[in-house]
Amino acid sequence: MVLLCVELRGSGSASAAPICVHGQAGCHFLSLADLFDRVIQHSARMHSISSDLHSEFEQYVLPSRNHIGRINRHCHTATILTPNGKENAQRLAREELTEVILKLLVAWKDPLWQFHQNMVHQDDFNNFSSNKALEMSYMVHELRKGVEKVADKMQHLGMISNTLSGLSSPEALDPSSDTCGESQAMSDHDLLYCFRRDSNKVQNYLKILKCRIVPENGC
Amino acid sequence: MMWRDVGVTLILSLILPVVAQGARHTPPGKPKLTSCRSPDKETFTCWWEAGSDGGRPTTYSLFYHKENSETVYECPDYHTAGANSCFFNKNETSIWVNYNITVVATNALGNNFSDPVDVDVVYIVQPHTPENVTVGVLEDEDGPFLRVSWEPPRKADTRSGWITLIYELRVKLEEAEEWEEHRAGQQKMFNNFSLHSGGVYMVQVRCKPDHGFWSEWSTASYVKVPDYIPRERSMWILIAVFSAFIFLILTWIITLNRSSVKHCLLPPVPGPKIKGFDQQLLKKGKPEEVFNSLVVQSFPPRSTDYEDLLVEYLEVYVNEKQELMPEGKDLRDVGCLESKSQSDNDSGRGSCDSHTLLMEKCGGVESKDESSYEEPELLQGQAGSWERLERGDSQVVDTPDSSDARVKTWPLVFSPSIHGSSDNHHYGTLEMPKQHSTSEITYSVPDHLFPTSTSFPHHHHPEYRDSLGEYSEYRHSRSPSTGVLYHWEAQHHPQAHSNFNIRNLERQKEATGFGLPPSRSMEYVEVQKVNQNQLVLKPLSSHGRGPSQVQFGRAVVDYSKVNGVNNDNVLLLQRQREMAEAGQYCDYREKEGAEAERYPTQQQGKTTKDGPVATQLQESTCLTTSGYVDTVPTMPTF
Repeated sequence: MVLLCVELRGSGSASAAPICVHGQAGCHFLSLADLFDRVIQHSARMHSISSDLHSEFEQYVLPSRNHIGRINRHCHTATILTPNGKENAQRLAREELTEVILKLLVAWKDPLWQFHQNMVHQDDFNNFSSNKALEMSYMVHELRKGVEKVADKMQHLGMISNTLSGLSSPEALDPSSDTCGESQAMSDHDLLYCFRRDSNKVQNYLKILKCRIVPENGC
Repeated sequence: MMWRDVGVTLILSLILPVVAQGARHTPPGKPKLTSCRSPDKETFTCWWEAGSDGGRPTTYSLFYHKENSETVYECPDYHTAGANSCFFNKNETSIWVNYNITVVATNALGNNFSDPVDVDVVYIVQPHTPENVTVGVLEDEDGPFLRVSWEPPRKADTRSGWITLIYELRVKLEEAEEWEEHRAGQQKMFNNFSLHSGGVYMVQVRCKPDHGFWSEWSTASYVKVPDYIPRERSMWILIAVFSAFIFLILTWIITLNRSSVKHCLLPPVPGPKIKGFDQQLLKKGKPEEVFNSLVVQSFPPRSTDYEDLLVEYLEVYVNEKQELMPEGKDLRDVGCLESKSQSDNDSGRGSCDSHTLLMEKCGGVESKDESSYEEPELLQGQAGSWERLERGDSQVVDTPDSSDARVKTWPLVFSPSIHGSSDNHHYGTLEMPKQHSTSEITYSVPDHLFPTSTSFPHHHHPEYRDSLGEYSEYRHSRSPSTGVLYHWEAQHHPQAHSNFNIRNLERQKEATGFGLPPSRSMEYVEVQKVNQNQLVLKPLSSHGRGPSQVQFGRAVVDYSKVNGVNNDNVLLLQRQREMAEAGQYCDYREKEGAEAERYPTQQQGKTTKDGPVATQLQESTCLTTSGYVDTVPTMPTF
């Protein structure tokens, strides 16, 4: 996903001023709706990959492991408060919703990378699954950047306040320090299960956000 | 014994049902959760099926607990969704939360738990069927098409983006078997083309969330497509009419040109036609007459026509007194040698108005049988009217003047040696070749008159050389108004049979050894008729000679010695006097006997390539004749 005319000035900047805002010559102007559409498509693809990986795991790997009981399944992202219903999601402000999305995406970057590394050394998954895991971790990273750009644009357009600027701070969005131990305790199955759910959350939140902000088409 | 067994059996059969009745009451069988569904991702319902009853009234209850929580909750609503169901309303439904649901069947004797089921509401969404499915037939330039539109189910909230639905519809004719399915994506409208006019179509729509189950098909909507003729047919009708019109026009045109078309397509077969064949005669039944017409007159060639095929020579000389050229061309300064032309039956004598070209009209060469023989005067500009007629069918030209005579032109071969006429000398063409075996002279006698005046320069002595191997034709053309039908072509035709070399001795002044009998005068003779062996000549002037017949075989001929040809159209005849002046001439008199003539060396020197040979010939010819241009007959006698 490429936002052609939006420049990201480092990770610490409050907001990245886009190069072309008003459709200058030679610059392809992307509207917010277009950005949302791209982000939503990206998240949909991410979710589908995670679903495939989870079903493969349950089909081929789990029986061999004799995995018993999933009672205490803990996703490391459980600490992130996410709305569990439509009303709850609609009750959240745009900024909060965007923040939740970003938190989720940030939280999953490292675990997915770890998961991929583990898969390479293990024989549980075939190469196809290994590639999917790698693609998944990459997509999380790209999706996060895309959502950040959308947030920047929204802030630029004045749709959301600038309270979101604190999101890009490493301390706030780095749950790995908090959940570092928990993420490592997760099993592969739990990881896949959790990520499948969280990717669905991300996709859904983005759709809600889009239909709330730019409800032109598809809403 | 047998009585005792029967009695035991009877007692047992009576006791057992009583005992068994007490055993019917058992704990209920194990219930089973069949499915849980959520229509809107906000509420969901679970259904179970009961196990065996156990003989007692059994109650079912559903218990659940959420993930990572030990709190067990019971189903809040058992009735909304019907029997053996549990409905979870919005307050109790959490998305992205794992529900662990268990159903318990309880009766008086005990209870039974079902297997637990994990349910995440997100993945059990099955919406209702789309609503407000409307189908219509619309017109387009391509034809009619079906437009189907619908709305999402009421409960599914697609407007806020909570649920994203994709749709699918299927169409079929009412009587058809198979459905035609189409994916419509997220749009709520669909166009179906390629319809059968006059049919009734059924349309159904269903939907599905992006992660979930397909809804049920909506109730079928019927639509009738009206009958109409497609535009393509009208186009075909137009084409048919147009082509019929063109066909009619073509037929009309062909009918107008019936005959020519028929002639073109079916060319008439030519019937056999025999020239001269009269079919009527054949029908009359006279075959002799019929076949007589088939006889070709000219075939086979008759013996009388053989002479036509042969080349003959005819030497004609004229009496000197006769006027040679009626036109009265001035005798040039060379002088016109008058030569008597004595009328005798010599061949070659007579007035020569002939095509045979000859030299100038000069004094004729008298050839007599007598010994006295005058050499013909060599005239320039006037040629003696001797002619060698080479009869051949090859060159037959009608003179413009002669109407009754058929004069033939012969290729002229001039013998450079002009022999003096001598009556002893038979210049019959028959003899000449014997004497001059190597020499042949053929003359071509075109039909033109011999231009005397313009032909020869005056001061030149025509000298003809008897040379071997070369044949010259000298052509003279002159207006045919005069009676001179003398024309000879001056061309160089090296022919094998001609051995005389007639060169253009334009400036030759030496008198050749040949001399013409001075007394001879040349005259032109018009050939009137050519019979077998006879050349009927027509007298040129009115000296009353009348047509003299020149016959072959007559010996003495007066010849003018041809000195040369000037300008290719002037035949220079040598005058005797000049010869006399030159001092060298070959005079041959029979009476005097053969004298060895001396041939001018100059002449010899002037001969062309065949000099030495010519010299010899000159000598030989001089011996025999004096200064005559010989025409060696090439054809044998007949």
